Amino acid sequence: MVVPGLARYVVAALLILLAGLPAAQAHESRPAYLEIKETAPGQYALLFRTPVLAGRRLPLVLSLPAGVKELRAPVVQELTDSLVERRWIDAGPDGLAGQRVDIKGLQFTITDALVRIELLDGRTVQTIARPSQPWVEIAATQAWWEVMGTYATEGIRHILFGVDHLLFVLGLLLIVGNRWMLVKTVTAFTVAHSITLAIATLGVANVPALPLNAAIALSILFLGPEIVRVWRGETSFTIRHPWVVAFAFGLLHGFGFATALTSAGLPPQDLPLALLSFNVGVELGQLGFVLLVLAMERSFRVLEIRWPRWVEALPGYAVGTLGAFWTIQRVALLIAAWR
Amino acid sequence: MLLTLWVPAAFAHVQPSEAGGLLTGLQHPLSGVDHVLAMVAVGLWGAQLGAPAIWVLPVAFPLIMALGGMLGFLGLPIPGVEIGIAASAVVLGAAVAFELRPPLVVAALVVGVFAIFHGHAHGAELPPGQSAMLYSMGFVIATGCLHAVGIGIGTVHRWTWGRQLLRGAGAVVTAGGAFFMCKALA
Amino acid sequence: MKGACALRVRSRIAAVLAMALACGPARAHLQTSGMGPVCDGLAHFLTSPEDLVPALALALLAGLRGAAYGRSAMFTLPAAWLLGSLAGLSAAVANAGTLGASFWFLLLGGLVVADAKLSLRSMTALCAFLGLVHGYLNGSGMGLSAAAIVAALGLTAAVFVLVSLVAALVVQLRAPWARIAVRVAGSWIAASGLLMIGWSIRGV
Repeated sequence: MVVPGLARYVVAALLILLAGLPAAQAHESRPAYLEIKETAPGQYALLFRTPVLAGRRLPLVLSLPAGVKELRAPVVQELTDSLVERRWIDAGPDGLAGQRVDIKGLQFTITDALVRIELLDGRTVQTIARPSQPWVEIAATQAWWEVMGTYATEGIRHILFGVDHLLFVLGLLLIVGNRWMLVKTVTAFTVAHSITLAIATLGVANVPALPLNAAIALSILFLGPEIVRVWRGETSFTIRHPWVVAFAFGLLHGFGFATALTSAGLPPQDLPLALLSFNVGVELGQLGFVLLVLAMERSFRVLEIRWPRWVEALPGYAVGTLGAFWTIQRVALLIAAWR
Repeated sequence: MLLTLWVPAAFAHVQPSEAGGLLTGLQHPLSGVDHVLAMVAVGLWGAQLGAPAIWVLPVAFPLIMALGGMLGFLGLPIPGVEIGIAASAVVLGAAVAFELRPPLVVAALVVGVFAIFHGHAHGAELPPGQSAMLYSMGFVIATGCLHAVGIGIGTVHRWTWGRQLLRGAGAVVTAGGAFFMCKALA
Repeated sequence: MKGACALRVRSRIAAVLAMALACGPARAHLQTSGMGPVCDGLAHFLTSPEDLVPALALALLAGLRGAAYGRSAMFTLPAAWLLGSLAGLSAAVANAGTLGASFWFLLLGGLVVADAKLSLRSMTALCAFLGLVHGYLNGSGMGLSAAAIVAALGLTAAVFVLVSLVAALVVQLRAPWARIAVRVAGSWIAASGLLMIGWSIRGV
């Protein structure tokens, strides 16, 4: 049966959850980036960028196939948020074709590595190495639909881990009154974040991360009081026109999504397709979340469940409380950075 | 809808290493044309007979089939399995072709005999190293989907031309069954 | 008295927040599926037919009986599952194999086929029993750690969502053929169970 000490673990689990809250940012899913570029037949320039999380770099080591010679000494450059390692190698007459480059240590992390391989024959391959498959094979040719698949998956993962975005969507769902308004609101949010995602990823405009994060947190906090107004039967501009708010804040969230793509240092030439697929992935994930919430709500209605009032209030309080928490925390970070 | 939902859902749920079990299970009932013919004929006949046969047969079939599989596991030999299956195709096809309307019990018995043969022949062939659970599920799902196909085709029964079409389909099944019968006997 | 109640409410809020936050918090520490323990628990449930199918069958059964049964199942099953897995955390790894699951397939599938008119009480008892047993088996593989408890919460959330969605879906079915389709699904589950028992006898 339940051993003594179990309670301690339960408390510890909750503490981990609560302590983990700050970690629940769009930024956390920042991947590593590996670029392999064939400069001359059989010779490659490698660029490997590992993110630095909380001042510590991820313990990732590139492991090249046997028989590969270093042409020059590797260069390591430390940036504020990442570590960039450059290597130049000679893989003999056959090159790296059919060979595997391992990213050692990736399997012990929760990070993905975006990989871009550029070969002399004009092929460019984009793929993602994951903890479950911490390597890339050079031979793999990647058709356009594979690029799409890779980035669409990345988009879905990104939104499903970006708890702040989901919480904002949840807040919108709690505000909208009817189905038509829901469609308008979700569409407005989608259009808005697609616009800024494209703008930021294509490098047209950029927003510094710290104020952006604070603003995103603020957008969630903003919804809290509006939800309370809905409960009280009051009305406001947001309640009458939630799609306007969804559009305005959607612009912010789009910049947030973009950090996932741009902080990886994606090279610009393949961006349109990758961007489109990433966006499609984000929309799919978002739509899935909305549908799940609606389906659950419907199920509760069909099963005729009468929730106690505090349970009904929970999602609203979750949005407001977490919004406030993140706002304070991120503003504190912003101020700290200013000094 | 459940039918269509199930297959992809079951796909999504498996580890890559075990997926083989599910796939083999799914493929097995489809691998023998005689099995496919007979199972589609079960659906056709059910649709032709209408309620309650249209749902008694697809509900009862998987269970009896599993019993047949059990006999196989227990090592009870059933003589002439292949002949039995070919014979079922002939009989079921003929029943559809002539629009036979026996009492439900008799229809269920005919189908049940075939179900036992079918389960015995295919239920007990798990490739080594694959998950028995996924294999079983795949096997049952594929069988059920074949019935669904039969019932789906059977909905043309509403129209006069559809009735003729169904009877024609029954004749094709009988012919196929006869062909496999010859092969089994040869 | 009041304080204790507030505390309980607060701990429930924390638990629900944990659900809502799903994958976020755990990212910083843990690995495996790369999604954090909440999602590990979720993914574990969704990728294990031996857990998923009996829960599904129970949801179908409850749905056939109506809203009151669905309500009972959607709270009893996850709660029992959570209790079972917490109890199982400290247990030595018990590998029940698939035989136990096969019997659940057969029993629950059979009840769905028969459209069994269980009493609400026996339905609830069935949910509690299934939840405790399967939760215990799930938990015993995880080992006692904070992450395992979070994973158990994720698993519970998945059970809750699955049961409420499926039960509500079935409750809504009015067309006779649709209810029969549910019973056909039950017959598939029972038949799979029977075949699986066969494999166990054979010693695969």
